[in-house]
Amino acid sequence: MVGGFVIIMVSLAVGLLLSRRPGGAASRGRLDRASGPDLAPVTAAGWRRLARHVAGTMLGGYLLLMVVVVLYYYLVARVGGAFIKSAFTGCALLTGLAVPVFALASWLTELRRARTTHKAHPPAQQPRPSP
Amino acid sequence: MAHHPLIGYLVWALLFGALFAWEGLALSHLSNYVPTLSDTFRAIMRYPVGRWALFALWLWFGWHIFVRGWHFLLRA
Repeated sequence: MVGGFVIIMVSLAVGLLLSRRPGGAASRGRLDRASGPDLAPVTAAGWRRLARHVAGTMLGGYLLLMVVVVLYYYLVARVGGAFIKSAFTGCALLTGLAVPVFALASWLTELRRARTTHKAHPPAQQPRPSP
Repeated sequence: MAHHPLIGYLVWALLFGALFAWEGLALSHLSNYVPTLSDTFRAIMRYPVGRWALFALWLWFGWHIFVRGWHFLLRA
């Protein structure tokens, strides 16, 4: 299973590289990426909005999967191996692991973008007062 | 492990092959009309229910790969 996961991830990475090549999907304007250096820096309100967005998605997805799992267990097949308990705890564990990684990756991406912007457009120097 | 007819495995191989072939076509220069998997996900993620479904799918995938049947590496 892990081998299959690695194959899929590698395939997705190759696809992403292909799409970013000249003439690829990204260069044909099919990707409207909102992460360029010309964007304004993210404010505290922006981070709060992102946190709400991520929390809502994770909670909604988690609850949706739990509903599906419970319905599957009681209506389709009584799977063994503490199926329900494993679903609740295992998915909570995965979510708990993903949240800090995603938050750190988002913060580092924004930090790098802010540094790139600062290098490209350094703040104008204040004029010296004439003696 | 249960023995299944070979045709069952071939159907799975065909389905996955078709998936990657379709994605390859979308990424190539042959067609501007085939959306990539990323385009499709982006379209789905415009809506909260779509985001929930995709996150649930991601959780289900990760749960089966990393949690179900997982055990400590050095356990006898």
